[in-house]
Amino acid sequence: MKISPIPKTAPFAEDEIEVLNRVVGPASATQRAWLAGFLAGLDAAHAAPQPAAPPQAAEPLTILYATESGNAERLASDVAKSARKLGFKPMLVDMADLELVNLAKARRLVVIASTWGEGEPPARAVHAYAELMGEKAPRLDGVEFAVLALGDTAYAEFCAIGKAIDARLAALGGKRAVDRIDCDLDFAEPAAGWIDATLHALAPPPEARGTVIAVDFAARQPSAPDLGIVEAEITEKIDLNSSRSDKETVHLELALPAGFAYQPGDSLDVYPQNDPTYVDELLQASGLAGDAALREKLIGSRDVTTLSLKTLQSFVAATNHADAKALLDSGNAASWIAGRHLIDLVEAFPAALSAEALEKITRPLGPRAYSIASSQREVSDEAHLLVAAVRYDSLGRQRAGVASSHIADRLTKGEKLRVKLRPNRHFALPAPDKDIIMVGPGTGVAPFRAFVQERRATAAAGRSWLFFGDRGFTHDFLYQLEWQDALEDGALTRIDLAFSRDAPEKVYVQHRMWDARRDLVDWLDNGAYFYVCGDAKNMAKDVRKTLVRALADVKGLVPDAAEAAVRELEKSRRYIQDVY
Amino acid sequence: MNSANDPSRVERIKEASAYLRGTLEEGLRAEVTGAISEDDAQLVKFHGMYLQDDRDLRGERAKKKMEKAFAFMIRVRFPGGICTPVQWHTLAGVARDYGNGTVRLTTRQSVQLHGVIKSNLKSALAAIDGALLATIAACGDVNRNVMCNPNPFQSRAHAAALKTARAISEHLTPRTPAYREIWLDGERIAGGEPDMVEPIYGKTYLPRKFKIAVAVPPSNDVDVYAHDLSFIAIADKRGDVAGFNVMVGGGMGMTHGEPDTYPRTGDLLGFCRVEDAVAAAEAVVTVQRDWGDRSNRKHARLKYTIEDHGLGAFRAEVERRTGRPLDPPRAFAFTSTGDRYGWTQGEDGRSHLTIFVENGRVRDIPGGPRLLTGLARIAERHDADFRFTANQNLIVANVARDRREAIDALVAEHGFANGISGLRRNAMACVALPTCGLALAESERYLPDLLTALEVRLDAHGLADDDVVIRMTGCPNGCARPYLAEIALVGKGPGRYNLYLGAAFDGSRMAKLYAEDLDHDAILAALEPVFAAYARERQNGEHFGDYVIRAGFVSASGNGREFHHDTGAKRRA
Repeated sequence: MKISPIPKTAPFAEDEIEVLNRVVGPASATQRAWLAGFLAGLDAAHAAPQPAAPPQAAEPLTILYATESGNAERLASDVAKSARKLGFKPMLVDMADLELVNLAKARRLVVIASTWGEGEPPARAVHAYAELMGEKAPRLDGVEFAVLALGDTAYAEFCAIGKAIDARLAALGGKRAVDRIDCDLDFAEPAAGWIDATLHALAPPPEARGTVIAVDFAARQPSAPDLGIVEAEITEKIDLNSSRSDKETVHLELALPAGFAYQPGDSLDVYPQNDPTYVDELLQASGLAGDAALREKLIGSRDVTTLSLKTLQSFVAATNHADAKALLDSGNAASWIAGRHLIDLVEAFPAALSAEALEKITRPLGPRAYSIASSQREVSDEAHLLVAAVRYDSLGRQRAGVASSHIADRLTKGEKLRVKLRPNRHFALPAPDKDIIMVGPGTGVAPFRAFVQERRATAAAGRSWLFFGDRGFTHDFLYQLEWQDALEDGALTRIDLAFSRDAPEKVYVQHRMWDARRDLVDWLDNGAYFYVCGDAKNMAKDVRKTLVRALADVKGLVPDAAEAAVRELEKSRRYIQDVY
Repeated sequence: MNSANDPSRVERIKEASAYLRGTLEEGLRAEVTGAISEDDAQLVKFHGMYLQDDRDLRGERAKKKMEKAFAFMIRVRFPGGICTPVQWHTLAGVARDYGNGTVRLTTRQSVQLHGVIKSNLKSALAAIDGALLATIAACGDVNRNVMCNPNPFQSRAHAAALKTARAISEHLTPRTPAYREIWLDGERIAGGEPDMVEPIYGKTYLPRKFKIAVAVPPSNDVDVYAHDLSFIAIADKRGDVAGFNVMVGGGMGMTHGEPDTYPRTGDLLGFCRVEDAVAAAEAVVTVQRDWGDRSNRKHARLKYTIEDHGLGAFRAEVERRTGRPLDPPRAFAFTSTGDRYGWTQGEDGRSHLTIFVENGRVRDIPGGPRLLTGLARIAERHDADFRFTANQNLIVANVARDRREAIDALVAEHGFANGISGLRRNAMACVALPTCGLALAESERYLPDLLTALEVRLDAHGLADDDVVIRMTGCPNGCARPYLAEIALVGKGPGRYNLYLGAAFDGSRMAKLYAEDLDHDAILAALEPVFAAYARERQNGEHFGDYVIRAGFVSASGNGREFHHDTGAKRRA
């Protein structure tokens, strides 16, 4: 397959484009990243090579981002794009790579920080964050900064990390150029406004502006032209769990439009629809049954389930409901909210709501990202997803995850699903001759199916080792026959399994890692890349802890040295996570 | 291409297995599959396990990108069916932790635990070993569980019979260290000369499975006519066992549509003294080892060896090997093959309670009998032993008189069945679907419903309390010994059965094929007029099996090949 990432419109001669394509087209992710870094460095070392460039260097702007799902990273690149147009020379810094001393050298600093889980920094930013908060953080006198915080009002510690960084930068002597903004899931519009205002506030004097070619950052990923949201037909839908399982994990095959290209490790943003039955109940409880236009809007584009403090506040503001207000003022609202949805609020505090009011207390319905479980080298114009149906009972009501139940319960083969590519260049395969260790229990195995398919298709020389786990061997072994085939044809070298409910003692992937620690360390010493995908709350932490213990045990290291060894793996991008 | 006399595939597997090791250890380590290799699947039987899969799920598995729902059936040997309360507790625990939560009593006094996945096999086997139990030779081409009448109410005769059964079992247990090596992480003991590793069996073991039973007349509960080798205890005037009649060449299995295969009742070979029983057993086993057919597994049981060589030649060879001629068989009389339910009291004053276990399946049925829990509670309080009967029932044995009440209370509390019809208490079914790979039709899951329908008819004819032996199997291999039942249903295909009638109530004569390919309604339609005629025409004390022959519904079945002669309904009711 010939890949021509450099477009014909690039500012090179036709034969030069061909030469570039010959080099860049087959380049691995690592090679491309190196080139990008090299060229950026070249620019930094010399004046802009464009003859039309102004004689003086553009104003540097440091854009620091702490990202988990990629939103902060995308916003950071938006900042860079706009900054260039305004004559800045932007430098994007992933917090994973931050050297604190460099921060002190920055004159202008924009921080885009996500808050993850229960008020935690993104996994890759954990160490730099701790250093920034720690005693050894350098003074930042003379640094002008602005912070954009990303978060989710559905969680109690909304934007906690952005808030903390904002306060810390000021405490270290930085000068706040623009007030922080705290963004919810519907961040696009407020963020765009804030970026514009911030860049103008930080803007250098007009004479510094030169002619800079705006290079779209995303264009560095030639395989990922942004087609926006596409409607993909579901060509296959299979519940991979046995009919005897309590779980339902849907394997979905989507037909993609021409030109839709993705890499192993990328995700798809799925744009779900709400359960019409739930929406009808909500309309009924709000006294709005029969409003067909509102119904359609709520089903298709509003988050009608999430209940947060903010929702409660908006509800009180809209209804002035005395009991709801009392709850809000009581200080018990946070615990009342736990396990409840918007419908519970509306039913608990009956009030006539206007269509506008009901809409206003909801957020826009955001997409849900699912790792792509296939490689295009094997499935060409398809993308496969692995979706666990989330269903549970809370406070006497059956609940379901919006996106997963949309897929599992309400879509059938032949229908369409709205999806958008969400590239994840941090979770990519290494060079083909490198070994990979993949830890992916449950739906965490999805990207590793893509990895194994890719490695089969490319006849990669590196070895592949998968740790998989679920509840039961017999009824929950996702893609069992495919792993058997992969072991047979060599695309997978080894598989170690952990099924938690097969025996009285629960066995998880980290236990199997511990059992295999000698081989594990041997592979890592041999340069293996270590990938973790799946549950962030427990699994990913247990896996990391176990790797530290394994290194300590096998190599006879003290705990701190083993921890440092794992940090070194993280820094060198050989310990890579995609957790949720 | 194999010539007719080449050893069968299984023979070659045994030969190459290094005394049943094969590649089982590697197979256990292959986590990605719940199965083991085809060759190892043959060998694992000798270790007491069958690789099976849940046939109810076969349809959906491939689509869900899963292999068959493989799991193992583990069969635990209980010579004479005797089990201590601690052993029972262990079995129930293994069933709960690693199996499907049920304990299955078999028709040969052993116990089956179903649904044990490969990754749990060693844990299960370790627990079983810890309770001083073993699964080796519970299946495979070896002598299997040695049966013995378990009801010790004739205390002295029973004790002697049991002692012999245990001695034979011990003597004929395979010696290969492979069992400990593979399952119990025992140290590997290398090589060795064949006659040192397996002095009786050698490296290819027996041509086919081998079954031994010991009976204590007048009860023929162990179905002595159905085994390769049986011993019938002959009591002297004081009630002590003087010796045993030796019977050879019984066996149930056959294949539909292959008249060269047939069930057969055993022939009396002679009489031996108690102290000669083990030597006689060894001689019978080794003659079969050397004379049995090793090229055609459907012609490899001892019954075919006897048919082919003749009983006289076989006896002569056995006597040559023991160096001791057998005496002529002595007189004996059996009354029935069934169990005596409820309490019995032994000569020694101890009490024994026989509990009805439908099809041998011990489990808790929501809203029904909770046998699993109930028996666990009894085991906690019981200081003697449990015994498994050849009719898949369970005896709480050797209870002191003053503890009967406490046990009765537990029986009542857990809703153990009582007031069972004469048909149901004489019923047996094999496991069949969904776990047995050989099943052509349902058996254990269907028989209870069929019985309910038949009970309505029997009741209408006033026959509800009459003992009638009925047995069902899902295939013709005969695990529930159907050919020795007065009414037998043998699976032919999904929902279809062949109906046999006319075996002797004491188990000495086989039934005869009466009608073929019957579904549920056809079974009821076929039996209804026979029940009606039996109620009308039977003579005093005449059993159903004898009646249907006298009344001309079927011919009396001859033995061996004659089983297939003169079949079909002879009288239209």
